[in-house]
Amino acid sequence: MNQRTIIVKKDIQADQKADAAVERERLGRRGTLVVNLLSSPGAGKTTLLEATARQFAGRRSMAVLVGDLETDRDAQRLAPLVPVAQLTTGGACHLELPLVQRGLQALGDPAVDFLFIENIGNLVCPASHDLAEHLRVVLISTTEGDDKPGKYPKMFRTSQAMVITKLDLLPHVPFSVDAVTEDAHRIQPELDILTNCALDGDGVSDWCEFLEQQHQQLLARYHATAVNH
Amino acid sequence: MHERSLVHRLLQQVQQIVADDGGGQVTEIRVQLGDLSGVEPLLFQVAFEEMVSVMFSSACQLSLDVVPVTAVCDHCRQQFEIVDFQFRCPDCQTGAVQVVQGDQVKLISINVNSDNPVEGVAS
Repeated sequence: MNQRTIIVKKDIQADQKADAAVERERLGRRGTLVVNLLSSPGAGKTTLLEATARQFAGRRSMAVLVGDLETDRDAQRLAPLVPVAQLTTGGACHLELPLVQRGLQALGDPAVDFLFIENIGNLVCPASHDLAEHLRVVLISTTEGDDKPGKYPKMFRTSQAMVITKLDLLPHVPFSVDAVTEDAHRIQPELDILTNCALDGDGVSDWCEFLEQQHQQLLARYHATAVNH
Repeated sequence: MHERSLVHRLLQQVQQIVADDGGGQVTEIRVQLGDLSGVEPLLFQVAFEEMVSVMFSSACQLSLDVVPVTAVCDHCRQQFEIVDFQFRCPDCQTGAVQVVQGDQVKLISINVNSDNPVEGVAS
């Protein structure tokens, strides 16, 4: 039998990763910080985005792509505040780049300061999909339990920030901010930690300040690139 | 993770690579799975066995190499294996470490029987 071996040594997802890198570069170069928001269902992603939109109103421009399996309920909540496109996956448990690009086109590809992608509520599969984001933020609410980072390590390892939400419920639930921070830092020691209660606005200013810093860093990075070339 | 869709993507890539290389009957596919890839090796194997019989007309083995997560320290440049998802340098204790391998799903090589001039595609 005439056997031969073809050496490949290529990531099976290399094409998808390359597409995401190109889109990230395109959006970064024009000054749009892409933020991928991830959490389990009901952690407060939409509520945080509503509070963010109110805080940024008249100062910073933003748009939202919001993912769900079905319904446009989240888009309806956000539509009075910001340009928003609902991405319904019809059952798929995570967003992928082509859906994001379609949503961007539906919005007219706006040159906003911040493009938020509200991912499907799920701490597993979305961790493995690059949506061309510059910043990956994982939300964890006090009602979920402080043991989650160790259970879903890839989600926390691949995020740059963790936002602890529903802080007003702390007196009523067995949740330790210190314990969840320690667990998350074991997996991602460089994770930025923020806390808030978006319903009453507590901590939203700090969150928006953090976003503005990230946006400034993005602008500096691309300005530096432009100068160097 | 979505082992079935990954296996489908893998088999499509194998078909294309073999066709571009002159064709033949695929007898073995070697894949590296990192511990941080989010892919479960057993489910990947099961999905492979189901789908290879649909997409390929002849028997084909999957060789899976599971790769531990390895990181390098930004400060002391020490390279070390990550155990139990503790991403901290064991020497200088800094958390500024970069994963150098262990998050990959990589097609390494394809063994082909060249006696059969046509890649064994069922449809």
